[in-house]
Amino acid sequence: MLTSVKILPTPLCPHASAHRKPCYNTGMTNLVEAKNIHRRFGKGHLTTHVLKGIDLTVAEGEFLAIMGKSGAGKSTLMYQLSVLDTPTEGTIYVDGTDVLSLNERDATDFRLQTLGYVFQNYALVPDLSAQENVMMPLLMRGEDWTAAKRRANLMLDEVGLEGKYMSLPGMLSGGEQQRVAVARALAGKPKIIFADEPTANLDSVSGQQVVDLLTTLHREQQQTIVMVTHEPEYAEPCDRIVYLEDGRIITR
Amino acid sequence: MRSLRIGLLLGIRQIQRASYWTTGLIIFVMTLTFLNLIAVSGILIGLIEGSERAVQRFSLGDVIVTPLAEEDHILETERFVKTLQTLPEIDNYSVRFRGNAEIEANYMERRDLAADRDVVAAVVTGIDPLQEEAMTNLSSTLIEGEYLDPTEEGYILIGAYFIKRYAEQFGDVFDALDDVYPGDTVRLTFGDISKEFEVKGIIQSKVDEINLNTYIPEREFRRIFNRIDRNADQIVMRLEPGTSADTLQASLTSIGLDEYAKIQTFEESLPKFLIDIKNTFNVLGTFIGSIGIVVASITIFIIIFINAVSRRQQIGILKGIGIHREVIEIAYVAQAAFYALVGSAIGALFTYGYLVPYFDRNPIQFPFSDGILVADPETTFWRFVTLFVITLIAGLVPAWMIVRQNTLNSILGRK
Repeated sequence: MLTSVKILPTPLCPHASAHRKPCYNTGMTNLVEAKNIHRRFGKGHLTTHVLKGIDLTVAEGEFLAIMGKSGAGKSTLMYQLSVLDTPTEGTIYVDGTDVLSLNERDATDFRLQTLGYVFQNYALVPDLSAQENVMMPLLMRGEDWTAAKRRANLMLDEVGLEGKYMSLPGMLSGGEQQRVAVARALAGKPKIIFADEPTANLDSVSGQQVVDLLTTLHREQQQTIVMVTHEPEYAEPCDRIVYLEDGRIITR
Repeated sequence: MRSLRIGLLLGIRQIQRASYWTTGLIIFVMTLTFLNLIAVSGILIGLIEGSERAVQRFSLGDVIVTPLAEEDHILETERFVKTLQTLPEIDNYSVRFRGNAEIEANYMERRDLAADRDVVAAVVTGIDPLQEEAMTNLSSTLIEGEYLDPTEEGYILIGAYFIKRYAEQFGDVFDALDDVYPGDTVRLTFGDISKEFEVKGIIQSKVDEINLNTYIPEREFRRIFNRIDRNADQIVMRLEPGTSADTLQASLTSIGLDEYAKIQTFEESLPKFLIDIKNTFNVLGTFIGSIGIVVASITIFIIIFINAVSRRQQIGILKGIGIHREVIEIAYVAQAAFYALVGSAIGALFTYGYLVPYFDRNPIQFPFSDGILVADPETTFWRFVTLFVITLIAGLVPAWMIVRQNTLNSILGRK
């Protein structure tokens, strides 16, 4: 089982231990390269310009936090990076793939093979047990039932849910459900995990447990994680924090 | 295969976790739809089928022999009958002689010779009472009096429609005799020949041919109608169980008996209008059943639609984490298939395990027929297939509508 010990940030770049400025050219491979990202909603005079020319990279093995006030565009930015939405302008490369050139089916497959997701409302299938929820993406990737089951149980053990394999989401606490979601995100060994306010619906203790889990994953397995949060204490373990204000990255 | 496997898992789990009441209600709707599809047309066809069965049981049997088109009677009847007696496939047979005569009643009480005679024109059938009884159980149709005794002479059975008190319900459709009871004397006249008969019994059946017939012993018939050649007008046969009428017909034809008479199976002898009525009732029943299918499919559509709409966010997230659309569609189609299969299975069990035997034992009493429930397995199977396919479509369409929505909009609950 992963230990849930709070750790110091791993120095991925020379600036990390100082004032956490955005890093470029760290010498690490960039898993995400986004350039000049604009996202507009609506038409004509009702257009809302949410993202206004964002340039962002995420290095392999980095734990990145995206912070900002409500309405700054944090989640919108994450949806672009995680191939759930398409920007109005700009380019995005994830793991070397131009994700904006993918059709819907290829994008779905790309998300399945390469990315993992943790949503703020856990997003578990209520009719499936914890084990079956974790198995879903594995089965979709073509793993046979036995292997998928074994891996799912291993992931559930890793997140501290031994003995809860057959529990339905309704029988689990919020924190436990979120840990199942983390296990599901991890199960396919994704290149990047995107966590959209994973602690939003949790109490402080459960929220801290989830963040500690992500932190341990990052530290022990060099898992690349992009997390949206508006809680500074949850962003503390991150290698880097990106601040968004009014659709732009600002430096603090 | 992968998508099918995961889709089935999702579908089965949704069914398992659903409320028992909801699932039970949906299955109940499907069962009623199945019964509507099968039982309604089955009863309609059963009205005609019941009538046919009665005719086959009490009148015409399985194979019917009648004169050739150019002949008045069956040629070489005795030789024909001798041949029939050697065939093990034949359980019973009856040789009938037919003629038209006048039957007059109450002539001894008639004082005013200028008044109308109480007389009817009737078909008279000459039978061997024992043979006819073994063939059709004619005595079971007696409503008054007794059956013919083969050792007696001078007795007649009269069909109920020739008796006014039974024919009144039809108004003036039939000529009928006043106040005739068993024991009364009637006079039968054919040409110049008249003979008095005592009414032995009055018969009534769902088979109109019996109600509009009179029966006297064969040898008396041949005397009155001067049928010295002993050639009959009709021979009816009942076959041993399991014997095919077509096979017997072919057999009789192969030994040359078709040179003396026309040999038909019961189905061949059915008049076209009866077949047309059956077909019409079949279409009517199918139409009524189709309405039921439409209602059931709309029900399934609404149920699946509400289910999918309420899980829109969950569906979006499943797509977001990489689950293909068709997996989710398969899950909902699997649910629809489950409801259709289980509902139809219960309907089929109820139909064949209870309804069909029940109506066989307790037919619906119609004036012209004993209404039974006809549920031909092949027809039932194809109707089930229709119901099943339409239900699958009713499950797929709403699922497709929800699943095709933008993934992020679904996740965020945006329109």
